[in-house]
Amino acid sequence: MYSIEVKNLTKKFGAFTSVNDVSFAVKKGEIFGFLGANGAGKSTTIKMLCGILEPTSGDALVGGHSIVSAPDKVKLNIGYMSQRFSLYDDLAVGENIDFFGGVYGLEGATFKERKNWVLEISNLKGKEKLLTGSLPGGVKQRLALGTAVIHRPSIVFLDEPTSGVDPLSRRNFWELIHELSSGGTTVFVTTHYLEEAEFCNNIILINAGKLIAEGDSKTLKSKYLDGSIYEIECSDPVKAMEILNHSKYINDTSIFGNKIHISVSKNFSDENLLRTDLQSQNIRIESIAPITPTLEDVFIHLLEKGA
Amino acid sequence: MKIILHIIKKEFLQFKRDPKMLVMVIFAPVIQLIFLGYAATFDVNIVHTAVFDMDRSSGSRAFVEQFEKSGYFSIDYYIHDYEELNTLVNHAKVIVGIVIPRNFEKDMYSGKKPVVQAIFDGSDGNTASIAAGYVQSIFTSYAGEIMQEMISNKGQFVLPAGTLEPETRVWYNPELKTRKFMVPGIVGLLLMLITLILTSLAIVKEKEIGTFEQLIVTPIKPYQLIIGKLVPFTIVGLLATVVVLTAMQVIFNIPVRGSTSFLFVATTIYVLSLLGLGLFVSTISKTQQQAMMLAIFAIMLPMVYLSGFAFPIENMPKSIQYVTYLIPLRYFITIIRGIILKGIGFSQLWVETTVLLLMGIAILLLSSLRFKRKLD
Amino acid sequence: MFSRTRAVAKKEVKQLLRDKRMLFVIFFFPVFLLGVFGYAVNFDVKHIQLGLRDLSRSPESREIVRTLTASEYFDYKMDFTTDDEIRNALDKKLVQCIIVIPEDLTEKLNTRGGKAKLQVLIDGVDGNTATIIMNYIKAASGSLDREFKEKILTRLGISIQMPLGIEPIFWFNPDLKSTWFLIPGLIAMILIVTAVVSVSLTLVREKERGTIEQINVSSINTIELLIGKSLPYIIIALINAAFIILAGYMLFGLVVKGSFVLLFFSTLIFIIASVSMGIFVSVVADSQQVAFTIATFLSLLPSVILSGFIFPIDSMPWAVQIITNVTPAKFFLQALRAIILRGAGLPAFWIQLVYLSMFIIVFLGLATIINRRKSAI
Repeated sequence: MYSIEVKNLTKKFGAFTSVNDVSFAVKKGEIFGFLGANGAGKSTTIKMLCGILEPTSGDALVGGHSIVSAPDKVKLNIGYMSQRFSLYDDLAVGENIDFFGGVYGLEGATFKERKNWVLEISNLKGKEKLLTGSLPGGVKQRLALGTAVIHRPSIVFLDEPTSGVDPLSRRNFWELIHELSSGGTTVFVTTHYLEEAEFCNNIILINAGKLIAEGDSKTLKSKYLDGSIYEIECSDPVKAMEILNHSKYINDTSIFGNKIHISVSKNFSDENLLRTDLQSQNIRIESIAPITPTLEDVFIHLLEKGA
Repeated sequence: MKIILHIIKKEFLQFKRDPKMLVMVIFAPVIQLIFLGYAATFDVNIVHTAVFDMDRSSGSRAFVEQFEKSGYFSIDYYIHDYEELNTLVNHAKVIVGIVIPRNFEKDMYSGKKPVVQAIFDGSDGNTASIAAGYVQSIFTSYAGEIMQEMISNKGQFVLPAGTLEPETRVWYNPELKTRKFMVPGIVGLLLMLITLILTSLAIVKEKEIGTFEQLIVTPIKPYQLIIGKLVPFTIVGLLATVVVLTAMQVIFNIPVRGSTSFLFVATTIYVLSLLGLGLFVSTISKTQQQAMMLAIFAIMLPMVYLSGFAFPIENMPKSIQYVTYLIPLRYFITIIRGIILKGIGFSQLWVETTVLLLMGIAILLLSSLRFKRKLD
Repeated sequence: MFSRTRAVAKKEVKQLLRDKRMLFVIFFFPVFLLGVFGYAVNFDVKHIQLGLRDLSRSPESREIVRTLTASEYFDYKMDFTTDDEIRNALDKKLVQCIIVIPEDLTEKLNTRGGKAKLQVLIDGVDGNTATIIMNYIKAASGSLDREFKEKILTRLGISIQMPLGIEPIFWFNPDLKSTWFLIPGLIAMILIVTAVVSVSLTLVREKERGTIEQINVSSINTIELLIGKSLPYIIIALINAAFIILAGYMLFGLVVKGSFVLLFFSTLIFIIASVSMGIFVSVVADSQQVAFTIATFLSLLPSVILSGFIFPIDSMPWAVQIITNVTPAKFFLQALRAIILRGAGLPAFWIQLVYLSMFIIVFLGLATIINRRKSAI
């Protein structure tokens, strides 16, 4: 069944449309990834779904309640972790947990148990007196997550939870998310790290307020890319890109570090054509090889197609 | 209910972590009270004077002596022309120049009625008129003395007529100490500063650092958040009140003629209405900077000028007098001056007290309504 | 050097322009408040509510009442018959002044050496107004006394006259309108409060947001940073000052008697001094709340009470007089009054301008030192 159903959700700020007629649905217990570049409308969407920002038009059912007519009921069933982790920096770890736990009405043995859980998952057992502001990013992040779900909501919204956190911590964090999800919690995550999307059960891609793609990782790659992706390492990537962009058999090119990814059309499989094209312009080729497409490839393809 | 307690606990914990603010908020007012209380006086104690004596007779010197004897006038300059007077006045070195005409003594005794000029720097109207009052008194008593002298010289003794004499009694403040009048007003102002500074930033700060989002996502209801934020501030405000009122009595020797407990209750109501105002500002501002500027320009400054603290409300144009009814400090000043100086109590001040209470409740309700659990 | 300073200034301006509410507050309120306060603040005591108890009911007592109420100083409010009524009325402030005319008025006035005592009760809570009322009464009874004496003596065939006369002349403000005196004070106060509070937040905000590190990492040095940040506020304050003075003229007929060039120059120095104060606060404070507190306490009440705006500095205890030097508003006010009200030239107030410049040096200097220590630029 669906935890979240979004119907034609739109948000305008004056003349600027931040979220443009977006519709999708999230299954119960899913890890749902909401991907897009910065400014694409992700945070705005999440805030609307949490009932703290009023949509200009459209509606959504979160946990069965409408965000337009019953936002208060929506809030009772959800947890939210905002982009800035939003804990009180001038409170100690324990004090923050006590506050949010208290505000969600937890007390007695239940509260003690949950508090312990939060401390454990963030590795802060015994460190309750530490000032929250002094914690390193990765630790604070887990603490924020724990505090956000301390009341065991059925749905959890995480807005860019891994921004500015080191890769190891990010990996640990996603393990936590998996734990939550296997426990039956629906997890709705926004991120601009496309490789994290691989961890999600279902993904939507959003750009400039519009939904441009939907599906799981595999589906996205197969649906939107008709041909294969090649990775080329050469002596002058920029010039190479210029040249390749003119070719008929190449759909799009993009730079990845000092390598180039090219998306070729369906029927193409002749590497040597690539070699000759480039070598004739005096570009030395280190390697050419087909690779497994990443979501980034998909995304870029979709963006360029849109443009 | 429990939620409110949690919010209160959080606020206090945050206070604890920022002791600088707390210290400032409680002690800065006392220090300010001391300076301002001693500074605030309308009494014109010393009038810097220049004398331009064109007669230089014993008669003119006797006249000038009257000024010195009065204790109010400090004759700083003896000048020889109007130019000098011009410069002295322009440079704000003297407030008045006494110009005694030639043949002053001769004309006076021969009935030619010489006219002495008292030239005032009129730019400070208040001081000038007070100084003019002093000059007038000196002149009147000197003229009386001379008349008496002349009459006894002519062989008559006392005027066959009586004198009209005003016998003035000043109530509540017999020594006319401005301080007794101003210090209670300053107490009201300082309390206003503290409470507004604390509360106007209360909610906006959370908006700016981002914890506000986290708060409104929870089941906390608006009235719970408002009460939860108000209680700690009220307690701090009351602490400040006690400190400031004590300082007022101890340092300035201004005893409370009326009921101290009523004073405390009235002050609490006043502080509550201010807290409400500050909270309201906090709910309509998006950034702390906006909140501060709004608090200063829309609330603090009007309170300083329109509350009757220094500028009598009776002197204001009717339209502005109507505006002053909206200012909580106006009522509080009437109450605190009434209790301290007049010794009156609730039976005479019930109107003002009730108005303050209603204002406080109204503003708090308004803040509650404005405060939606939404971003915008 | 200039390009970096200009870059900082430009950013500050852009941020300001984006904040429409701030712009509204900064430009609208000063002029608006001047308008309101300008009408509200004055010490000219008129229409004093007068209560009467006439026990004489004679032509003379009626003359007294007529003289008092004919002027705009006193307004007849009510009659009293008992002492309790009088006490009640004063307590409730129904009247500010009560005159009790004795039964034996006529008798005493016609007796050699007789003293007709006019009882005057004044509400002394507002000491200033009470003093002024006392002076009016003294003056009024003085002239009434002369009037009565002349009548009696003329009847008796004796001529007597005052041996000398006094002619009070009031330069610059013949009507003694206190408004004109108070408006420069309003100008000074509005300017300093705006400058100090808005500037005090600039650096602190960057500290709180974390963008200060970005600035520290660039090649800018402290002085360039501080000047760049001050520039927009100085210009805004100047524009405000111009509006306020214009409003002063249009609403209150306040004419600048002296030179506009000197006025501009003095205002500029004062604004820079205030802005330096704000910068100092901004460097010292760690959070916006602390900055707000310090800025308000430093600028608001001191500029009203310690600057000579309302209370004459000469009459304050000498210890407090020394403290009045803490607010630049004091010196600016002296210069302003000299230029606007007296039309004086530079020699009258150049010292004040020097003092103001010292403020700039001290505050900016302190700010630079403290900022360097805090962020090691």
